[in-house]
Amino acid sequence: MSSSGKERGSLVETHKGYDPRVIVFYPFIAVLLLILAGGLAYQQLWLADRFHESERKQNQRRILVPGPRGNIYDREGRPLVANRPRFAVTLYLGELRKDFRAEYIRIRKAYRAAGDKDVPTGAQMERIARYTVVQRYLDQVNRTLSREAKLDADDLDKHFRHQLLLPYLLVDDLQTSEYARLIEQLPVTSPLQVYASSIRDYPRGSLAAHTLGYVTANDALDASEDFPGAELTTFKMKGTLGREGLEARFDPLLQGETGGAIYRVDPAGYRVNPPLSKRQPVHGHNLHTSLDSDLQAVAEKAMAATELAGAVVALDVRTGEVLVLASKPDYSLLDFVPHLGHAAARDITERGAWLNRATHGLYPPGSSFKILTAIAGLRAGTIDSAALVNCTGFHQVGGRKFPCHDGHAHGEINLATAIEKSCNVYFYKQGLDMGVDTLAAEARGHGFGRFSGIEIPETRGSLVPDPAWRMERRSERWYPGDTANLSIGQGDLLVTPLQMAAFTASVARDERTTTPSILHEDNRVAQHSAPSGLSAGQYTALVAGMEACAQTGTAKVLQSAFMKIPGLRIAGKTGTAQKQTPKGVINFAWFICFAPTERPQIAIAVVMEGDTPGEETAGGRYAVPVAAAVLKKWDEKQKTRPVGMLPGFISQRPAVPERSKPNP
Amino acid sequence: MPPQRFDQAKPFVTLGLVLLAWLLVPTALKRMARVSFFELQAPFESTASYLRDLQDFWALKSRPQNQLIEAGRDIARLNAAYEVRLQQDSALRAELDRLERVLKLPSAPGFRSEPVRVIRRDFSSWWQQLIIRKGRNYGLVEGAPVIYAGGVVGRIREVHAYTAVVELVSSPGMRIAATAEGDTRPVSYQGGINPTYGPAFATVEYVPLDVFVTPATPRRLVTSGLGGVFPPNLTIGYLTRVEPSTDGLFKSGEVKLDSALSDLTEVTVLVPETPAGLE
Repeated sequence: MSSSGKERGSLVETHKGYDPRVIVFYPFIAVLLLILAGGLAYQQLWLADRFHESERKQNQRRILVPGPRGNIYDREGRPLVANRPRFAVTLYLGELRKDFRAEYIRIRKAYRAAGDKDVPTGAQMERIARYTVVQRYLDQVNRTLSREAKLDADDLDKHFRHQLLLPYLLVDDLQTSEYARLIEQLPVTSPLQVYASSIRDYPRGSLAAHTLGYVTANDALDASEDFPGAELTTFKMKGTLGREGLEARFDPLLQGETGGAIYRVDPAGYRVNPPLSKRQPVHGHNLHTSLDSDLQAVAEKAMAATELAGAVVALDVRTGEVLVLASKPDYSLLDFVPHLGHAAARDITERGAWLNRATHGLYPPGSSFKILTAIAGLRAGTIDSAALVNCTGFHQVGGRKFPCHDGHAHGEINLATAIEKSCNVYFYKQGLDMGVDTLAAEARGHGFGRFSGIEIPETRGSLVPDPAWRMERRSERWYPGDTANLSIGQGDLLVTPLQMAAFTASVARDERTTTPSILHEDNRVAQHSAPSGLSAGQYTALVAGMEACAQTGTAKVLQSAFMKIPGLRIAGKTGTAQKQTPKGVINFAWFICFAPTERPQIAIAVVMEGDTPGEETAGGRYAVPVAAAVLKKWDEKQKTRPVGMLPGFISQRPAVPERSKPNP
Repeated sequence: MPPQRFDQAKPFVTLGLVLLAWLLVPTALKRMARVSFFELQAPFESTASYLRDLQDFWALKSRPQNQLIEAGRDIARLNAAYEVRLQQDSALRAELDRLERVLKLPSAPGFRSEPVRVIRRDFSSWWQQLIIRKGRNYGLVEGAPVIYAGGVVGRIREVHAYTAVVELVSSPGMRIAATAEGDTRPVSYQGGINPTYGPAFATVEYVPLDVFVTPATPRRLVTSGLGGVFPPNLTIGYLTRVEPSTDGLFKSGEVKLDSALSDLTEVTVLVPETPAGLE
């Protein structure tokens, strides 16, 4: 301080002149200041956006909530799969921070007061504090509901560390009375809250279980692209994912639109209300199937009565819409809500109930395939419907005798009688006459050996064998005996019940193919494909044989007092296919039919699997009653349906003559 | 002598010290002070209430005899009608008791009704709470339902020695498991944020999708009896509007409350015979 300054009593120091030694530091300081200013400008101006974004990511969290799935209805608008609310008690851990802290201090004090040497760490005490506080709330819920729910410490810890923003589930799947009690007795401001989510509900129980499919929990919940905050840390509530049947095939349609909210959080990760932005989840689209739940229920009940595995498919002849798609054994859809337990899954596996036999079951069609053999022969000109063929009870092919189906000689019979009596010899001869290539081509022309075109998944294993296939796959020759077998639906031929039903519908319309559809449209136009190529006389003979089969032939059980449906003319064909299994030969009982004969509206294919080797599981005995039950219910519904509600298919051909009896 | 500037700041410093002291006072002590203040105030409120009753009495006394006679006849008619209903109820009660015995069902919880005069209602919390003239001295308990001729009034939130505070059905802190009349599925009723002047409204959530109402065809909302606090079938209000919530599972809507709730003078407290269940 200068002396002149002191003399004037001023507090300000003054300098006169300068010290040249100091000057050298000025540029150095200036450079340092410039660097500092530059760094500040760089951080504050150039990197401001990046820091802002980083800060936003740090203190904002996004929560995604799935939209409820769409419902699935039958063709009359009755719900097959819907959603039901599932109430749970949840606890918002974020609102308990003070409680956790207070409990932590209390525990610490208690340890210190006790002078315990084995004191837990701070993190352990925090964990104990959290458990104690949450347990207190759970006790409150247990008292209110008279329950004895337990708290899982590890689960709580995991939730606290990874999903703090989501409510912690204390008690799930509340009954209505429990939910009501909690609503009335929990304070509005309590961190305990009743939470409603959506789970699948099956108003018709396990009806059409395979066709409808099931859902499982989905952790990979996706938000739409315009949902903001994709870059933020995101917490996802569990959604659902369709796993089988319609639920899987139409999952994108049924899935609701994900909603959610973006919250600001404090440095400890606790939520700051209210949300910065919010979007409500949106309900998924509904699906209207072509299934008729009445017919489906009857079909499943009839199949269950046989205690055999099998499948039933019924189609609307006019549109190809699937009325029934049933498979047994099946599983209970209720077992999948909220999730399938190990015991239930094991039971389904042991019973072989995972397989949808209607779309994935591969069976030799047996004698029901004779209808196709007949069409092939008629079209190829090797069969004259009126010509008589002598059945001696067997047919010699090469060095092997091929027996007729019941071992008896049918004598001189024409096409219609051969169908009525299901004469193997007649069709061995016709198959050999037309050749395997003609027969296989006709089968493929009717949709066998490929996908049927239905909207749900189906097997790719359907097979129409021929010499080329045999050589390619097995490097073996094709023998005439193979053709004889193929002509009666045996050998390597494999079809699904759905394909057989589509084929039957095609025969009913006198056309080549039918594309089945599981979706219902109110005014769906009639389905048409190429004509079968049969003349009117040939078609009449074919249908006459099928009708005779249902009257006096192998399906004559339809005329018994218990099954007869007055006023309904049915054209059908039974089949009993054999398959060699490690246990022995088992039978598959088939029955295909359409009705009414004169104005076909419904086509049905039934297959029932024999379960005991050597047991005679004939189509007429096991499959026909199932089809009869479906037809009976269908007929009842037709009679009670208001006039003009469901126009039937009107064949372009002249109607089949009344009770045309085949002549032997 | 302290400097002049400190003298000027003295009131603020004192205020600050008092506030600091209040902050440091334990919560229990604060609560006790609040309750003591309430109890100290209660006799004045009760006396004022008794005086108002006296005033009403003399006001009625001064009415012309014809009016009194007419009112007496109306009451006689009502009494006759109630007598008939009472007999019907007795028959139904006997039948219910018989069925409960046959089916070995537990009896529904009973209530003792305690008529109480309303003694105070603050403008600042008109639709939130009111104070009644009975408390622990009449065995009232927290959580007990409070009703009037038109249905639910609310439930007791605080019980003091001679008074009790009732949380009104119109308060946002009030939640009831209700049902639309004729339905059995419970919905969540919650009071709304209602301004002092004007009608009171409330909201409902978790309304089943097949419940339909319009302002022209409102539907009565009643207590479900499932919540464990209110007995069933007490009127809460009228559902005037419901609309589907975006989750597709339920509807949510609006409830119009009875305007008579605005000028209650007497209510009835239903004291549960097993009050432990309320807590």
